[in-house]
Amino acid sequence: MVRYSRPLLPWAIGALVLLLLAPLTVVVTAPFHAPAPEWAHVFRDVLPVHLLETVLLLTGTVLLSVVIGVLSAWLVAAYAFPLRGLMRWMLVLPLAVPTYISAYTYAALLGPTGTISLWVHDRSSFRPDIVDLPGLIVVLAVVLFPYIYLPARAVFASGLREQLEAARMLGAHGSRRFLGVAVPLARPAIVGGAVLVAMETLNDYGAVKYYGIRTLTTAVFRSWTGLSDLGSALRVALILVVLVTLLLWVERRSRIHRRQATDAIPMSRQRLTGARATLASGWCLLVLFFGFVLPGGKLLLDAATPQPAYTWTTDLIALRNTLGVATGAALLTLLIAVLLIFLLRHGQGSWTRGLVRAATLGYAIPGAVIAVGVMTAAGTIDRQAGLSFTLIGTIGLLLYAFTVRFLAVAVQPMQGSLARQHSEVDDAARMLGASPLRTFLHINLPQLRPAILAAAMLVAIDVVKGLPLTLILRPFNFDTLSTRVFEMARIEQLRETARPALFIVLCVLPPLLFLDRQLARSEG
Amino acid sequence: MRPTLLLLPFLVACGSLGTDPDAAAAREVNVYSHRHYDTDAQLFEAFTAATGIRVNLVMADDDEVLTRMEQEGANSPCDLLITSDAGRLGQARMRGLLQPIKSAELESNIPAFLRDPEGHWFGLTMRARVFVYNKNKVRPEQLDDYKDLTRPEWKGRVLVRSSENLYNQSLLAAMVAHYGSEAALAWAEGITANMARTPKGSDTDQLLAVAEGIGDVAIANSYYVGKLMSGTEPEKAKARETLAVAFPRMGPFGTHVNVSGAGVARSAKHLPEAIALLEFLVSEEAQRLFAEGNKEYPVRPGSLAEVLQRFGTLDPDTLDLAQLGLNNATAVKLFDRAGWR
Repeated sequence: MVRYSRPLLPWAIGALVLLLLAPLTVVVTAPFHAPAPEWAHVFRDVLPVHLLETVLLLTGTVLLSVVIGVLSAWLVAAYAFPLRGLMRWMLVLPLAVPTYISAYTYAALLGPTGTISLWVHDRSSFRPDIVDLPGLIVVLAVVLFPYIYLPARAVFASGLREQLEAARMLGAHGSRRFLGVAVPLARPAIVGGAVLVAMETLNDYGAVKYYGIRTLTTAVFRSWTGLSDLGSALRVALILVVLVTLLLWVERRSRIHRRQATDAIPMSRQRLTGARATLASGWCLLVLFFGFVLPGGKLLLDAATPQPAYTWTTDLIALRNTLGVATGAALLTLLIAVLLIFLLRHGQGSWTRGLVRAATLGYAIPGAVIAVGVMTAAGTIDRQAGLSFTLIGTIGLLLYAFTVRFLAVAVQPMQGSLARQHSEVDDAARMLGASPLRTFLHINLPQLRPAILAAAMLVAIDVVKGLPLTLILRPFNFDTLSTRVFEMARIEQLRETARPALFIVLCVLPPLLFLDRQLARSEG
Repeated sequence: MRPTLLLLPFLVACGSLGTDPDAAAAREVNVYSHRHYDTDAQLFEAFTAATGIRVNLVMADDDEVLTRMEQEGANSPCDLLITSDAGRLGQARMRGLLQPIKSAELESNIPAFLRDPEGHWFGLTMRARVFVYNKNKVRPEQLDDYKDLTRPEWKGRVLVRSSENLYNQSLLAAMVAHYGSEAALAWAEGITANMARTPKGSDTDQLLAVAEGIGDVAIANSYYVGKLMSGTEPEKAKARETLAVAFPRMGPFGTHVNVSGAGVARSAKHLPEAIALLEFLVSEEAQRLFAEGNKEYPVRPGSLAEVLQRFGTLDPDTLDLAQLGLNNATAVKLFDRAGWR
């Protein structure tokens, strides 16, 4: 491959990467110089239990999400059964429900004093209680499984036709083709989705706190707010970073021998009849019910209950702010992601890859900790530059923080798409005298378009659902839908969270369905 | 429909971001607050109506707000810091984020134990950590002291939320201050041994659980009890019928209280406005709204919400509230040692 470098552009991008790395550097290096007076206690009495429950929660949630996601994807991709067409896209809907909202609504229905639990208890001696570790695993998995369902469906539907036909001709039955051929071949896609589920689970604070589960993220807050020891909190955050780096490493390894299917021919679907057709439809309906209909229905019901003190304008302004921040953050993140992708394709060797990887670590760190890093970096800039105002609390800094946090979400699909572009084409363009920039703009970028759109949607979804960054870094008098939900939940007025929560779900639906359509088109 | 059309609202909203029609108002005061209540919004509106001073608000959690003020330094736009924990106010003072205020108005209306002796912060409302019991199963005489719930007869009957919760931390911090760490640990272990279930949910959830017979007595914050008992939601009717409140004492001392309070930021650019707002918040009108709207105990004598009067008389522990902040870390460590999740 021909590579040469024009010094200016890569250096400019390098500087940009450093700017992105500043808050991460604060977080990652603080453990080595910030005082951590309570570390001995945190290490001995906090970490062991919190680590154990983190591993249990993580394993359970990922496994259950994989089972739900992969099985649903296989049914939808490989078989024809009643309601299949509807289920194919409806099964992405649960992703519109943020984990903390799923947790609150499930507790209100199936917690020890939840509506359904009380109904059951009145008629029997049994008292359902979903508010514990196994319950939380279910509550998280039923809204996170689409992270696995979507990529698995794409691979099942279009990437495996030849292999599955071969298996069928060799006489392999449906289940055998599924477990023996399809799942192993789709493994990279499944692992990629599973890593996203894992990150969401690790980052959750609202749900785990309410369910009384002790995770690394609650350990961060216990150290910071309970023990007033930010140093120890950052050390725990570093452990989280290490854990996520490990997960990302696993994910990369699973991709190493991946043969990318470039001849996307849709798989022919086998028609199911009788009991098996009913079973397939029933499974999809069940998943949809628990992932979307039940929490969504509960939100609708609560939102419809009269609330005398309620003013629509507050939520409408919050809606506008939410959409604005999501768009701004998505655009900024994309711009920087595209620059990084350029660097990756045309820059110098392995150090660029290292930088890009480092710059995308923000996704691994809890939002509140990123906020600390961003504030520390911005405060330092304020003082060094002798500004007469502070950058903290500006919309610009908030968008920057979102970029630091969600860059990985944008880079990942683009990186995948770029890997599928043959480098010989680049080389041809370069031999014809095109500069790296021109090659990138005219050859690589046009092909990246679908991936860029997908990346934008993913970032926007994460920003709409996400909470802590906005809460900590927002300007005066600036509410978003998620801060509205948080504020009501904080003072235990869960019913009042329903309206802004419903708005969040509605905001996430369009980009989500857009993503689904885009994938579906590639599936044929 | 073209799929890209679905995204139109995102773009429209982006264009209108940051526009603020009222930005021209002349006098203003910038508040960082941990309090998320509707009452506070009403109070700020009343203040603006009375003085013409506009209130700008950032709401976030205490420690995050303190970190933000620290990083903003002298440039911080914050004029007034409002939190719902005396410990955090004490910390803000120690970290040099507040300035002392002299105000006869504040000093004459707020009892001495509810404010910083040098005027760095002032309590605005009290919340008590009380026992809430099932009237049909428990006699209130059994509930005189926080220690009572550690006795063996309460095994499997006590409901309380996780030690992640600040108000549990303050309660134990007060015990550390009064009795020392050993006794405080013994209490935490005793309660852990008597829990009806592993801690989960909110204070309100503990109250509902008492009403459902999952346990017989809950430890909860007074204003959540007040809100529940004065509410009208049909699904909480059973709780309103069965629950009653007891004010446990801490040995010779009174019932444990923490405060919501405020301090003027060292960086304040609108000092007179910040003091005016602070004084307004302890005015009779504001104190009544705190009490009526949010069921908190006003710091200014008088004006109790009707539902709080029904609970009985609060005799607050007059411990120096700075002790809560000083002993908070110790309390958290004791919870960890006691295995109180």
